[in-house]
Amino acid sequence: MSEELSLAATSWGHLASFNAMASRCEVLIRTADRAQAYIMANQVLQETRRIEQKYSRFNNSSSLSKLNATAGAWQNIDAETSALLGFSKQCFDLSDGMFDITAGPILTLWTFGPDANVPTSASIGRALKNVGFDKLSIEASRLHLPRGMSLDFGGIAKEYACDRAASLLTLDYPHIPALVNLGGDIACASMVDKPWQVGIEDPSELDNATRTISLIGGGLATSGHTRRYLLDEGKRYGHILNLNTGYPVERAPLSVTVMAANCLVAGMLSTIAMLKGANAQAFMASQDVDFHICR
Amino acid sequence: MIFGTELIRSLAFLVCFSLTACAGLGVEPWQRDQFAREDMALDSEKLDLTLDDHIYFSKEGTSGGRALAGGGCGCN
Amino acid sequence: MAAERSPGAAVAATKTVNKSKARTGTGTKIGASLGISASEPSIAEALSIASFALLSMTSSVAIAAQRDSVAENPIGRDTQFAAVITTDEAVTSDTDETDPAEIDAALLYYLEQDRVTVAEGIFNLKLPVGDKRVYEGKLVLDTLTGSSANGAVPQDERQTFTRPSGNGEYNIDSGNTPLDDTFKDTRVQLSGNWAEIWSPDWSSNHGLYLSREYDYTSMGINSALERSFNKSNTQLSLGMAYYYDLVDPVGGRPVAMSKMVFRDDFDSQTEFRTEFDKTRQIASTDKQTVDLSVGLTQIINRYMLVQLSYNLSSLKGYMTDPYKVLSLVDASGTSEAYLYESRPDERLKQSFYLFSKYALSTGVTDLAYRYSHDDWGVSSHTFETRYRYNFTSTFFGQLHLRYYRQEAASFYRAFLNSGEELPEFASADYRIGNMNAYTLGIKIGHSLVDGTKASYRLEYYQQDPYSNGEQATGQLAHHELYPSIKAIIFQLGLSF
Repeated sequence: MSEELSLAATSWGHLASFNAMASRCEVLIRTADRAQAYIMANQVLQETRRIEQKYSRFNNSSSLSKLNATAGAWQNIDAETSALLGFSKQCFDLSDGMFDITAGPILTLWTFGPDANVPTSASIGRALKNVGFDKLSIEASRLHLPRGMSLDFGGIAKEYACDRAASLLTLDYPHIPALVNLGGDIACASMVDKPWQVGIEDPSELDNATRTISLIGGGLATSGHTRRYLLDEGKRYGHILNLNTGYPVERAPLSVTVMAANCLVAGMLSTIAMLKGANAQAFMASQDVDFHICR
Repeated sequence: MIFGTELIRSLAFLVCFSLTACAGLGVEPWQRDQFAREDMALDSEKLDLTLDDHIYFSKEGTSGGRALAGGGCGCN
Repeated sequence: MAAERSPGAAVAATKTVNKSKARTGTGTKIGASLGISASEPSIAEALSIASFALLSMTSSVAIAAQRDSVAENPIGRDTQFAAVITTDEAVTSDTDETDPAEIDAALLYYLEQDRVTVAEGIFNLKLPVGDKRVYEGKLVLDTLTGSSANGAVPQDERQTFTRPSGNGEYNIDSGNTPLDDTFKDTRVQLSGNWAEIWSPDWSSNHGLYLSREYDYTSMGINSALERSFNKSNTQLSLGMAYYYDLVDPVGGRPVAMSKMVFRDDFDSQTEFRTEFDKTRQIASTDKQTVDLSVGLTQIINRYMLVQLSYNLSSLKGYMTDPYKVLSLVDASGTSEAYLYESRPDERLKQSFYLFSKYALSTGVTDLAYRYSHDDWGVSSHTFETRYRYNFTSTFFGQLHLRYYRQEAASFYRAFLNSGEELPEFASADYRIGNMNAYTLGIKIGHSLVDGTKASYRLEYYQQDPYSNGEQATGQLAHHELYPSIKAIIFQLGLSF
């Protein structure tokens, strides 16, 4: 455990870091009490790991993998999965079907790399047949996932974990301000008097924090071509797919950073903004939240 | 001589230019959404075209052009 | 991406925090659209409500901490947000899947005013095998009934013609364009095609063709090779085809430029038959066609592509129409005889075709131009355009316009003058004469609930032949030598 979680004392408290969900994760805790900081950081780590293991589609024994493996039949789901599906449904509706946790088949078609194969329009058409949240049947405690389809909570799990962890800290330690950062998805725990300063990377200049944002509560998330998407000297980069056509969105911004009530909202807004392509700015401007778009 | 060299040069330039112009045309693979549309497929109205070709083949003095001219029949 | 830098900087708090928290806990479904008006809740607000519903619902979920295992395969590896993808290990999984078979069928009626009627049924089966191979089979059936112009000119007198078989006659009233009503034909055409994608750059196409009707058989093979360049934005294709046709006209092939004989001129059927047979060559004959084509398809931008192609077609063999004659007229324009037409047995055709297609937000439009020329002297310009408007995603309308202008073959003659020496080649077939032709069509199509697509097409086609300057002598001056041909085309199409 302690090998996974490193804890360093700083001028303002403690900085804990660990790796989870394929990301570098940090917990910033404003307490000088190292034991207290460790307990809090560990709580974040445990919650993050719990969600990761439950909803990993790479782990064959995860709940999600079992759901996907049993596609075609009615399956019982627990309250948390049911709630996540409910939230996913809202996201699907609010984005006019562009954000879709059933998008897996189309996402795996698109690979970007030196020897990437561009999918044929036939294979895209085929993949799209197995995509569509509206093809699911969801009841309070059971789910029917049509054969050939699969779920992927990759688009919301990290934000969800971030908000979950932050709310647990707020509940248990309301007087110790903390900030949970799961690879860029950020949520504040407890209210702070002094704001957190968060640096935003400019995707074109990866090592310089070009801008800092002050955060006293809520969450922050960024969508786009951030650091982990630019590997191999920029040869591999992410694209935003338009699920109505199966092709990438035109003129999507490099990144969209959003501050909102919590990390889930911030993450979804930034995703929808990316999907808006050229209209990202106009969309965000209509949402009454603070945001930053890099182009 | 000078004129000839210049001509060759400008021809070479023209050839290079048109080649690069051609290479510069087009879209990235992920920008093919419009061409992926069913109504943008080159064979989206294949039967109409086949039938039209047959009508015009049997009613007019010239035919084909679109692709390889279809097979013969006694209607012409 | 985040780190606390220096605490205590200026406050720029997010405005939404308190406002959104006030709305926690309702799981109401909000079917907000992306066009936001001031009165409806913004997407941000709707998401806040949904997220707080999620977080509050799961706050009672026991934290089943699994302390012992380390996740090797985390979620969210290639999807930070479901819509963002950066797969570095995913492989394109489009190798072993096969598209379902597609069936296209159409029924076409071609109705000429006072002349032929054609009913044509076409059935096309497309059978993909894996992602790289497609087999296609096509069956066409058509029947033709009605009358066709036989090439003779109208006369003041009633005219009588011997049927092509030599059995019987048909009469044409004075002033009418002579039409032969013998025509009844049924044709069956079968073709098969195999398309294969060998690599991202190379693909090929091979086909077989067979068409059979009572007096005509055509067999063919074709092959094309296609190479893609420039990220598949440029495609170059090279194709060739070979057709071997057998011609076996009813009543035999007429001897070129021989005179039509009439039963009435003979005392007995035997005598007539003997003379008739002298104008005929019984053995079937053939025609061979070699086609070569070079094509270039270029994507110009996200919305436009152009195609250029050049076709060269070399034909050798019997190309005369065995059922067509020419009137041999005297100085008063009166027919003295009908001569069976004669065409060269070689023909070299070339055509240049330019096509462009544009994607519009509400539909598609295309534009085509073709120039054709051959060594018979027939040349033509064709302009064609279609404009499709998608009223909804399942319903479209389309407009089709076509203009065709043709210049006559050098041996085209509306009639022959008896005073002149007979030419080696001559034909009065208006189809190789001067003409303008127009097509105006509309089409509508819609998708049914089960995915079947239906389309209905109605077209009007008019051919206006015109004189190539021949002097209409005598009575011919007041006859219509170049009558227009008007036709209606109706087509019903279905795709499954």
